[in-house]
Amino acid sequence: VTPFFLGLAAIVAAGASAASRRAFALLASAGCVLAAVPAVQVLAGGPALKVQLGAWSFGIDLLSAAFLLVVLGPGLASAWYGHRALGDERDRPVGAARTLLALELAALALVVTARGVVPFLVAWEVMAVLAYFLVIFEHERAEVRRAGLVYLVATHAGTLALIALFAFWAGATGDLSFDALAARAAALPAGGALVLWLALLGFGLKAGLVPLHFWLPDAHASAPSHVSALMSGVVIKMGIYGLFRIVTLLATPPAWWGWLVLGLGIVSGVLGVLWALAQHDLKRLLAYHSVENIGIILMGLGAGVLGISYRLPLVAAVGFGGAILHTLNHALFKSLLFLGAGAAYHATGTRALDRLGGLARRMPLTWIAFLVGSAAIVGLPPLNGFVSEWLVYQALLGGGTSAGPIRLTLIGVAGLALIGGLALACFAKVCGIVFLGVPRSADAERGHEASRGLLGPMFGLVAGCVLIGLVPVLAVRPALAVGAAVARIPVTSAGTGVVEALTPIALLSLGLLALLWIGSVAMSAVRRRRPVTEAETWGCGYALPSARMQYTASSFAAPLLATYGPLAGVREERTADAFHSHARELVLDGVILPAWDGVRGALWRLRPIQHGRLWVYLLYIIAVLLLLLLYIGLAGGAGGVSP
Amino acid sequence: VTAWSLGGLVALLALAPLLPGLAAKTKALLTGRRGAPTWQLYRDLLRLWRKGAVYSTTTTWVFRLAPVAGVVTPVLATFLLPLDGRAAILRFAGDFVAFAALLALGRFLLVLAALDTGSSFEGMGASRDASFASLVEPALFLGFVVLALGTGQSTLSGMLGEGASLLSWGAGAPSLAMVAVSLFFVLLAESSRVPVDDPATHLELTMIHEVAVLDHSGPDLALLLYGGALRMAVFAALPVGVLVSRAGLAAPLALGALLAGTVLIAVVVGVVESSMARLRLSRVPQFLVAASVLASLGVILQLLS
Repeated sequence: VTPFFLGLAAIVAAGASAASRRAFALLASAGCVLAAVPAVQVLAGGPALKVQLGAWSFGIDLLSAAFLLVVLGPGLASAWYGHRALGDERDRPVGAARTLLALELAALALVVTARGVVPFLVAWEVMAVLAYFLVIFEHERAEVRRAGLVYLVATHAGTLALIALFAFWAGATGDLSFDALAARAAALPAGGALVLWLALLGFGLKAGLVPLHFWLPDAHASAPSHVSALMSGVVIKMGIYGLFRIVTLLATPPAWWGWLVLGLGIVSGVLGVLWALAQHDLKRLLAYHSVENIGIILMGLGAGVLGISYRLPLVAAVGFGGAILHTLNHALFKSLLFLGAGAAYHATGTRALDRLGGLARRMPLTWIAFLVGSAAIVGLPPLNGFVSEWLVYQALLGGGTSAGPIRLTLIGVAGLALIGGLALACFAKVCGIVFLGVPRSADAERGHEASRGLLGPMFGLVAGCVLIGLVPVLAVRPALAVGAAVARIPVTSAGTGVVEALTPIALLSLGLLALLWIGSVAMSAVRRRRPVTEAETWGCGYALPSARMQYTASSFAAPLLATYGPLAGVREERTADAFHSHARELVLDGVILPAWDGVRGALWRLRPIQHGRLWVYLLYIIAVLLLLLLYIGLAGGAGGVSP
Repeated sequence: VTAWSLGGLVALLALAPLLPGLAAKTKALLTGRRGAPTWQLYRDLLRLWRKGAVYSTTTTWVFRLAPVAGVVTPVLATFLLPLDGRAAILRFAGDFVAFAALLALGRFLLVLAALDTGSSFEGMGASRDASFASLVEPALFLGFVVLALGTGQSTLSGMLGEGASLLSWGAGAPSLAMVAVSLFFVLLAESSRVPVDDPATHLELTMIHEVAVLDHSGPDLALLLYGGALRMAVFAALPVGVLVSRAGLAAPLALGALLAGTVLIAVVVGVVESSMARLRLSRVPQFLVAASVLASLGVILQLLS
């Protein structure tokens, strides 16, 4: 465990030395690498590590190790990018922003290693509050402050649920270590139903599953891009970690909870990607895709829980393993996409999809990185997203081809297929509208390649996506080991049928890359021998095309959104000479804010009793005292109270 | 890997351009015309291959990569199909996911190539292509689910090849028939045929696939046309695999049955095209959802049996 705490100390030291750019970069990188060493050891089959300090225990088991890598790998990339992006900022507290970044990483690492309620909740709260300050970096803009406030309220509502959860679980025993909780799991009334609901509420708010995602799009869109990458890639995964930890502590979660998680996963996945399609803002769109991917992760988790409940350990291990691997993969490609979007925003100054275009020529390397991230998130071979979605499919189909009610997991197969198809349409839209075609505005024309310091972290993440795609065994084996540990079965039996498939998948991926390369080389040789000319894009006879005549993001998404009707949350305004479409946040703008307004309106009726005049308040006090006396007198008269 | 499965691969790659020709010929004969020769696509491919090309100044490398991917992805998908009725060249648990994902990759790059031109017509085609494809995906996967339930296998080799004899046509007949029809609908959508799309349309506003490749010319267009024919062959192999139980046949017979089946499917496509018009665009999603509903009914019947 020593390297972990040394690494943590180095990360904190990096935060303390934020004034010196070089010291920050060096200490943060060294710290992340050092802290990751024990995690890699544990995943490679080493023994679980633990520091016993009573209520303040810390430990690294397989589950913690997997999430530690999610924190330290993509987290470091985001921090590194942020460190370089902040270097260009003027008139802002850059040093403080670096310090917050480093401390956030340390807090995240502590969340996944804490082995007691107190250190867990303390690290959780530090993580949540630091994230608030990271989000409101550009606090002079009103929408950033509003997004920060909504986030802060949501995260504290979640923390409140968690405090209630642990208080209820620990009961009067006073022992708040996770081991004690696990020992008490069997004694929970109603199979821990209350605990499970509170866990879904508290951790679900952090993870951003539908309908608890309402804070997420605003917060992720308003934050600086490296913070969006960290939040979307890593911070929301702490909700997933929490759910996993609850499953390991309970040992045998009930089937209804598995169905609930699977159902929420399907709903989050489909609605998340549908709402993403409707967005006009690049970063809001990516934020909704986090909701979608949390849905995919929950589908794996739900299948895993059902595997435990219906005594199908293989389904359980593959489901959990798929969820874990998709967590890591999503951290890699979503961080990558937010960093790429940040580079585009940095270069053009706009996030509006319909003002961008033609960036592929202006920022070719950023484009390649963004394209890899897009293909990965859609689940296309030869990249990592395909591998983890394939694992989740395996779990769902494994449940479906068994016997009993678990066969209904087949609904998940159809859901995941629909999500995949919609995600393809959505990322075709993003890539095509933002990077291809010709610039739609002067802002987009100003686009220029990102600096080397920004491209470095992006291509680090690209390497991760490609490596897991081409050599899936590297990631699938450890993920299955984690899944087997959560499902409480021996590691060796977890991989049946799955590990054997990894070699053909690697062959297929390599073959795909090789054939694409050979084909491209051959085609360029053919083109050299043919008369090749360049001309304007064919406009069907129209000779004066302009950039404004291109298809827009809104028009690209229109046919799909029309198919889903009001579910898509698009509001259209048509006048004689104009057409506007807006993407509404159905939960926040449609439910929560109107409900809040209703509550405030109802309470407004009480307003007349607040006059602000002293004599009125004195009257109130006297009236209350009289009422109390009356109550006591009546209760005493009934013979209940004795002096 | 047997010689017959490799031979099947070569045969499928060589005969794929016949399929659109057969569909067109059927349509011509049924509508009382003589029609172009069945092997017209071979001629077109050769002619285009020898031609020069015009590239839009707006386009980037994506525009040039998409035609290559349009051929490479269906070829690799063929590697997963049990052509000789036994085992595919590559088989692994859940390889149907890879099958769908490979073909999705080809579509993704094709849509990007269309947007690469900055043309509003091609953007329109790309948008419709991507929209309809997203509705096809659940139908395809639900079809695979029915086959997996029927055979107890999760590989395409098992579902369409050696395990297919386990599909009992007695009790399972209704669900299998539903899957076959659903997969036929998927084929119509994926290879841009009537009633989803019309390969013979001459108005850009009503095109889907044709307008998305408007700017490709010469060798690139040849690759796209060939890739489209391959796509049709690959998707035709699915309903054939369901309808014809080939596991008991000798390898050459099984391969012959597959090729004959795909040819027959092409003829049926031609019959469909000559008997109905393309659906209005707003009605296409209903058609595609119907494919998913059929496959879902198949799943339900399998679960009940």
